[in-house]
Amino acid sequence: MAFTGRFVIAVALGIVPVVYFNDASAAWWWLLALLVLCIVDIAIAGSPRRLALQRELPGALRLGETTSARVYLTNTGRRRVRAIVRDGWQPSAGAGPRTQRVSVPAGERRVITTTLTPFRRGERRAHHVTVRSFGPLGLLARQASIAAPGSIKVLPPFNARKHLPSRLARLRELDGASSVMVRGQGTEFDSLRDYVRGDDVRSIDWRATARRSDLVVRTWRPERDRRVVIIIDSGRTSAARIDNEPRLDTAFESALLLAALATKAGDRVDLVIYDRRVRGRVQGATGPELMNRMVTSMATVEPELIEMDWTVVPGLVRSITSSRALVVLCTSIDAPGASRGLLGVLPELAKKHLVVVSSVTDPSVLATAAQRSDRREVYLAAAAERALLDQARVSAAIRQSGADVVTGAPAELPPALADRYIALKAAGRL
Amino acid sequence: MTDNMQTVMTPTIGRLARRSVLWVVVIGVIVLIAGIGLALAGSSQDTDPMSARSATPGGAKALVEVLRHEGVTVVIADTLAEAAKAAADPATTTLFLYDAYYYLDAEQTARAMKLADTVVVLQPTSDALAVISPDLALAGYTDGTREAGCSVAAAEAAESITTTGDGYRILDTDSDGRAAGCFADGDVYSLVQVGGRTALGATTALTNGEILSEGNAALGLNLLGSTDTLVWYVPTLEDYTTDALTVDELSPEWVQPVTLTAFLVGIAAILWRGRRLGPLIVENLPVTVKASETMQGRARLYEKAGARLHTLDSLRIGTIARLATLCGLPVLATVDEVVAASSAIAGSDPRVVRQLLVDANPRSDRDLVQLSDDLLVFEQTVTRNLRPH
Repeated sequence: MAFTGRFVIAVALGIVPVVYFNDASAAWWWLLALLVLCIVDIAIAGSPRRLALQRELPGALRLGETTSARVYLTNTGRRRVRAIVRDGWQPSAGAGPRTQRVSVPAGERRVITTTLTPFRRGERRAHHVTVRSFGPLGLLARQASIAAPGSIKVLPPFNARKHLPSRLARLRELDGASSVMVRGQGTEFDSLRDYVRGDDVRSIDWRATARRSDLVVRTWRPERDRRVVIIIDSGRTSAARIDNEPRLDTAFESALLLAALATKAGDRVDLVIYDRRVRGRVQGATGPELMNRMVTSMATVEPELIEMDWTVVPGLVRSITSSRALVVLCTSIDAPGASRGLLGVLPELAKKHLVVVSSVTDPSVLATAAQRSDRREVYLAAAAERALLDQARVSAAIRQSGADVVTGAPAELPPALADRYIALKAAGRL
Repeated sequence: MTDNMQTVMTPTIGRLARRSVLWVVVIGVIVLIAGIGLALAGSSQDTDPMSARSATPGGAKALVEVLRHEGVTVVIADTLAEAAKAAADPATTTLFLYDAYYYLDAEQTARAMKLADTVVVLQPTSDALAVISPDLALAGYTDGTREAGCSVAAAEAAESITTTGDGYRILDTDSDGRAAGCFADGDVYSLVQVGGRTALGATTALTNGEILSEGNAALGLNLLGSTDTLVWYVPTLEDYTTDALTVDELSPEWVQPVTLTAFLVGIAAILWRGRRLGPLIVENLPVTVKASETMQGRARLYEKAGARLHTLDSLRIGTIARLATLCGLPVLATVDEVVAASSAIAGSDPRVVRQLLVDANPRSDRDLVQLSDDLLVFEQTVTRNLRPH
């Protein structure tokens, strides 16, 4: 049972007869009349418990997009239900409007539509629907919360996809398929064609030239069907926010851009999200299905407050592919102490695979290091320099182990990683 | 589709009642036990100071009971009317008066004092003091054990009492010498007798708690037990009278019901706003850590420890590394090579540059800031000189 503003006003109106008749008993008569009205009102109000609910939810959406969720209310009771209805979504689902007015005649069905603009990734849930059904006088209401669980999956936004067209164009240039016709530096034999002035003399195929008595060059195309293994660290360091974006989300963005690019280039991409347990795994998918499976497995992964276990990673990579692959480790390389685990396994990985370590750097550190106008800022600048030095030392150690390092601010890391991939491909190092 | 399996989370009123039955019973039993316990303990006992019915340390039941035992008829009066009725024969009646809360006005006090020939006033109000004798004045607080030192029979019998309470002075204008002061502390008396009227300042002397000390009991029994009847009059709120009209009498009749209605409106408003539209929904919040926190923590650590040289060295390492890159030196170049190359480019004295980049030791924060500025300036100079003109 719930009271309404009208009920409060009705009680307050009792003052009028009291003052008019100048008699205390008038108040009691008024309250008695109000009690009778209330009983009648609540008796006539339609039962919210007799509403049958049915949810209709969209499957998934990207973070930042808006979708609408519907709830069908079927009145199985005998009286009309005039009610306000609240669909109980989590705050982070960004549901609106909070309440909606609905009138369902007996035996009929109505729908309420809630627009959802989630502001957090992952699974956003609805638990119940609350119905407050008013009587005809609007004095009292019957209220019930009916369990109606539902959830939508909010996928990573993949904002980095804006970089995709330009990178794909670069890839096509490598392929020789583009109109620019810049010959690729690949290692895989493609075809023979006539020599054109400007071609690299080293690519002249002398045997074919001898057959044709005309200069013939070999063309190459970038290698295909290579393996790309992306390992994302979801341990404690991935929780840190840089530019108001967790490291993990930046890693997702980079992984998605790289995967989109690599799968278009004909390479096979596998993904593992790991800290001490495998949090997400995508294997053996290509094309649109790969992207779909990647965002779906990323959607519900949150940073865990535990230390990443690097010792298992070589085994993980081995379980994915036994042949040489490009292994991309998305982690952080802030301090030598914290990176000891990573540095321990790198030589083993780098012996067999081409390893690239991708890490987000804090752009504010550089700015802080240059800002030294007063005493406190000098101390801060020293700490920033120290952080930069630590980073440089870890990077140097990684390079010494035979791996490659890509760093950048959250907005720049995904395209930087994609560029590194294209460069490696152009150099035929995959 | 009609889903008959759906669960309603809100309990019905019936279910709510059934669920809370246990608690209602438990609370009911507790209230019942407490009620019975309180009734048996008799908590409604009279605890007023100097009440003849009070057995507490502040009451006077002990004295009254002993007087009764000795054959004195003790009548306990709560109002002036009762006291007047009890004191039918002034000659054979003693009146005990203790107006601790000033319930009586001047006229009532005067009337009370005339009810009997023998009157004992405990801690008299200024009105009562004026009735006893105009030559008495309140002398403030006094305490300690005092000897009688006067001719009042009761006081002589008591020899000494505890005098905690008010003391009184007998003014010079008391030329006829009718006032007798006892238990003196200098010229301050705890007991003053003028004719049949006695003012007793020692408020605790006759209480249950103090009656056994010194000669307190003897004083009380002799003072109050000299006649057949004792009227024990401790005024109550019923004696209080005032001529002013109360708020109730001044306001119209509807004010009270309107106030009550306003109260009910308040409760209705609480009920209206108090019911939430459905239960709260739990949100699992993500961990949020700012990446720059370790850096800031380290800066505060440097500052707190006053590690100036360490701080400056951190800045120098960054500068030297950048200078080495600018000068095109290999990563493994030594500091001396960087000093030589950069000073040549900047066109400054290598010794000064070496001092700045390696040797200088900051003695104060001021030095530190100065040196860090110099580092920045030097780096800028090298950069500028390298840029093609």
